Amino acid sequence: MSLSFDPKPFDIVAGFTQWGVVCLVVAGIGWAVAALLMFLQGGAPGLARLVDQTLDVFRDFVQTSPRRVWALTVHTFREASRRRVLWVFAVFAVLFMFAGWFMPEMKQDPEMAVKNYVSFVLRTISWLTVPVVLLLACWGLPEDIRARSLHTVVTKPVRRHEIILGRIFGFLGIGLAILVIVGAVGHIWILRQVPAGYSANLAARVPVFGELRYLTREGATEDENSNQATGVNVGDEVMFRQFVEGNTKARAIWRVKGININQLASGQLIFESAFQSFRTHKGKIDQELLGQYTLVNPKSGVRVPLQPFFNREFRRNTYNVLDRNARKNAAGDSSVELKDEQGRVIDLGKDLLSDGELDVEVACLSPGQFLGMARPDLFIRLPDRSFFTSYSKGLFSIFLMLTMIVVLGVTSGCFLKGPVATMLTLFVFLVGRWAHAFFEQITSDKFVDNPKIQMRGRGLFESLYRLPTHISPQIDVEDTTTQRIIKAVDNVELNALWGVKHLFPDFTQFDTTPYVANSFDVPWAEALLPNLATTIGFCVPWIIVGYFALKSRELEAK
Amino acid sequence: MNNLTSFQRKLVYITGILILLIPITWLGMPPEPGADNRVKPGSGGKLSQLRQSEELGETSLGNVDPTSSTMNLLLLGFRGIATSSLWMEAQDQQKRKEWAELDSTIKSIVLLQPHFLKVWHFQGWNLAYNVSAEWDAVADRYYWVKRGVKFYIEGKDRNEKFPELYWFTGDTLGKKIGRADEWKEFRQFFRSDPDKEQYPNGIDPDVKQYGKEDNYLEAREWFLKANEVVQTYKNRQHIMAEPLFRFYPARALIDYAMALQREGKFGEESRASWEDAFHEWAEVYGRQEFECPIGTIHMELQEDEVAEWQAKDAEEPQEVRRYLNWVARYQDMCNYRYWRSRCKIEGERDMADAHRDLFDGEEAYRKADFDTAIETYKRGLTKYEAMLKLYPDLKDDDNTIEEIMVAQLFWRDCLRIVEGAEPSDDEDFPLKDVWISHQNRKPQMVEEFQRRQRR
Repeated sequence: MSLSFDPKPFDIVAGFTQWGVVCLVVAGIGWAVAALLMFLQGGAPGLARLVDQTLDVFRDFVQTSPRRVWALTVHTFREASRRRVLWVFAVFAVLFMFAGWFMPEMKQDPEMAVKNYVSFVLRTISWLTVPVVLLLACWGLPEDIRARSLHTVVTKPVRRHEIILGRIFGFLGIGLAILVIVGAVGHIWILRQVPAGYSANLAARVPVFGELRYLTREGATEDENSNQATGVNVGDEVMFRQFVEGNTKARAIWRVKGININQLASGQLIFESAFQSFRTHKGKIDQELLGQYTLVNPKSGVRVPLQPFFNREFRRNTYNVLDRNARKNAAGDSSVELKDEQGRVIDLGKDLLSDGELDVEVACLSPGQFLGMARPDLFIRLPDRSFFTSYSKGLFSIFLMLTMIVVLGVTSGCFLKGPVATMLTLFVFLVGRWAHAFFEQITSDKFVDNPKIQMRGRGLFESLYRLPTHISPQIDVEDTTTQRIIKAVDNVELNALWGVKHLFPDFTQFDTTPYVANSFDVPWAEALLPNLATTIGFCVPWIIVGYFALKSRELEAK
Repeated sequence: MNNLTSFQRKLVYITGILILLIPITWLGMPPEPGADNRVKPGSGGKLSQLRQSEELGETSLGNVDPTSSTMNLLLLGFRGIATSSLWMEAQDQQKRKEWAELDSTIKSIVLLQPHFLKVWHFQGWNLAYNVSAEWDAVADRYYWVKRGVKFYIEGKDRNEKFPELYWFTGDTLGKKIGRADEWKEFRQFFRSDPDKEQYPNGIDPDVKQYGKEDNYLEAREWFLKANEVVQTYKNRQHIMAEPLFRFYPARALIDYAMALQREGKFGEESRASWEDAFHEWAEVYGRQEFECPIGTIHMELQEDEVAEWQAKDAEEPQEVRRYLNWVARYQDMCNYRYWRSRCKIEGERDMADAHRDLFDGEEAYRKADFDTAIETYKRGLTKYEAMLKLYPDLKDDDNTIEEIMVAQLFWRDCLRIVEGAEPSDDEDFPLKDVWISHQNRKPQMVEEFQRRQRR
C-alpha cells in the first residue's frame, strides 16, 4: 500500500520567518491603532499609558511563575476529572466491542485488513477525544465566571495569562491521560485482532524518498515545448501519477540524497515501489508488467542496470538489490556482482553511494504498456522501526490537534459564554477539518487533482459573467476593460479568501493515519515538524488574544 | 375522584394500569427468536403475528442485521444525508484508487440501505467488473470478482425475496469468470483458489456455496434458486422478460459445455454435458408453461401437439389469437430452436469428433507439424460437413460459420506451406458451400486467424 499524497519536508526557517513577519505586522498595526486612539482620547499622557501597559504585558509574560501555573494546572485537572469525562471510556469500549460492524469482512487481503484495523482505531480515538477536550475547554472559564469561583483566583497574586496557561495545561493533562489510556487499549486491540499471519504488516517502514523527474520517450529532459519533461496522463481523473511508456527511452528518475551504505540494514539496498500499471493491449495476461531499475552515480556517471522486476500493482514491491542480482557460478555458489554497462564490477558502497547522491532510473520494459509513478511510489527502505513507534507518533499528532482545540476553546472562553465558545471552536475545527480542500481549490489557479488544468473564472464576478454568457471554464474571456475591472475586483476577493484560509488551521494535516495504516513510520520533517510548528504558530497568538480578553474583561458581567 | 383519598386514588391508578397491561401485552408482546436471526412463526402478541402474516416486519425480507437497524435508528432522519455523503466518498475513493477505504465505505452504505436493490446491484457489479479491472495481476482481479460475488450473496441474505440478487450472483459467477479476457485463469482459480494462505485446500466456501467444481455449474444453482424464488414468493424480477430469465439454468449448462470445448475437452465429458444441456433445454425449460394473452403456452411441442394446435388455429380467424403463433414468438425471443438444435448436434459423437479434429489441427499447426494439421483439419471438416447435412439450421449460426471459416484458413495456410498452393474455389473440398457463401466475412475471419496464430 502506498501513500496517495506527496509528503514534502517542512521548511522550518521559511515557515517561522513568514509567521514572525505576519505576527509583527499584525501586532504593529494593532499597536498603532491603539496608539492613535489613546492619543486622540488622552493626548500625550494617553500615549504614555499605552507604553506602560505594553511594558506590563512584556513584564507579565517574562515573570510567568511556573509554580502558579502548575498549581492552576493541577486544580483544573482535578476539577475536570470530576466532570464525568471518564464516561468516554465506556463509549470507547462499546465502539471496540462492535468494531466488526464497521469493518469489511475479516477474510480480507492482509494489507487491506491491517490498514482497516489501524485506521479504525486512530479515527475512533480522534473522534472520542476531540469532543471531550473541546467541551471541557470551552465551558471551563465561562463556568468559573458564572459560578464566581474565578473571583477567588483573580484576587490572588496571579497573572491573567497564568490562569489561561493553567487552564490549558490542566485540560491538556486530561486529554493526554485519556489519549494514553485509549491509545494503549487500541494498540492491544490491534495486536489481538490482526491474525498471526498478517502481523508482518504491522511495521513502521522508514523510507528515504527522492526527487522525481522524467525523460520523454525520446530520452530528452524537455518536451517539444521546451518545458520540463513529464510522464504521460493515461486518463486518470486524479493526475497524481504520471506514466512512462514501455520499451522506449522514457524514464522516471529519482535523485536520492544523503544516503550512505552505513544507514542500510546489513548493507542491503532495498527499494520499495508501488507503481501502477496501465495496459494499452492485453499483452501477456498472466504476467505483470516488467520494469527495470538502473542505478546511476550522478557525479561519476557510473550506470548499473539491475535485473528486471515484475510490477505487482497496488502491492508492496520489495526489491533487494543484492539478493535480486546474485548470480550463481559454475559450482552453484551464489555471489553478488553488480556490473556497469561496460561490464566492470561495481562496488555498491564505493562506486554508487560514496558521493551521498544516487539516481534511480525506472524503465518500463513491456512494449506498448505503461508504468505510472509519483514521488512517494519509490523509496529506499531503511531498517524498520516498530509499529509501536509509528503508532505513538500518530497519537502524538492527535495530541497536537487536541492542544490546538484546547487553546482555542480556552481563549474563546475568555470572552464568550460556554455555548458560543463551543460553537466558535467547533466551527473553526470543522472548517479546518472538512473545508480546507475546498479553500485550497478555490484559492489555487490550478486544478488540485490535475495541475495541468488551469482553473478559470474562480472569482465571484467573473463567474457571474460566465454563467449567463455560457463561457466554459476551459476558455479565457475576451480581454476588455470591463473584464480587467472584473478580474481586479475578483483578485481582491480571492486574496481575502486566501487570508481567511490561513486563519483556519488545516486540521487534516494532524491525521497521520495514512502513514501508520500503510505501515510507514510517521516522518519528522514531513509530518511531525509541520504539525508542531502549526500548533505553536496558532497557539501563541491565541494565548495572547486570550490574555488581553481576560485582562480587559469585567468578570462581574456573566 | 376528588372525594377519594390519596391512597384510594393510588389504588385506582394501579388498577387502571393493571387492566391496561392486559390488552397491551396481548397486542404488543414481542415474538420469540427463531433460527437464522428470524422470529419464531406464530409467536408474540397480536401485532407481531399480524406483522408476520402480512409480511410487514423487516425479518420478512431476509436476515436482519442488527447493526443496520441500529444505525438507521441512531441516525434519526439523517440517513439520507449520511448515505449521500458515503456514496460521494465511495466514488472519490474509487477515483483515487483507495481500494481498502472503498471496501469499508461500501460496507457502511449497505448498512444504511440494506433493502435497496440497486445499491447491491451497482456496487456488486462495481466490485466484480470495475474494481477488478483496475488491478493488473490476474489473481488480484479474481479476488475482486469474488468480492463482487460475495457482496451479492450478502445482499441475498438480507433480501431473500429479491430474485434479482440470486440471478446477479449466478451471472457474475458464470459470465465474469467464464467470459472475461482472463477466463482461462479465472476458471482455474475457481477450481483452486490462488489464495493458499486463507484457503489451503483451494476452496473458498463463500463463493462455492453449492460446492460445484465449475463456475458455470455453480452459477446454474443460483439461476435455479432465482427461478424458485420467483415461484415461491410470486415476486417478479425486473431484469428481463420471463422466458429469458427462466432459461438461465439451461443456458448455464450450455455455457459449461461450450467452455469445455474452448478448453479443448472434447471427450465424453463434453458430449455428456451437451446431452445434459439438451435435456434441460428441451425437456425441462421447453415444457415450462408461460403466461401469454391467450393463456399459457410451452415451447417444446411434440408432433401430435403441433397437429392438434394447427387444427385449432385453423379455426381461429385472428392471427394474434393462434397458439402456434405465440409459441413461435416466444421461441424467437429466446432463440429456442437454434439452441435446441445446437445442443442436439453437439451431443452427437461425430460432432464432438469434428470439434476435436479442428482443435487438434490447430495444435499441430502451432507445433509446425503441418502434414498432421492438414490431415486432421480435412478429417474434421469432412465430419463437420456430414453433421451439417443432418442439421442444416446450424449453417446460419455465427459460431459455426466462424469455426468453419477459421479452420479453413488454417488448413489453407498449411496447404500453402506444404504444397505451395491452396485449393481453388473450382475444386472440391469439405464445406465448400460455407466457405464460398461467407466470403464477405473473410476479412474478419482473417483477423481472428492472425490473432490465434500469435497465441
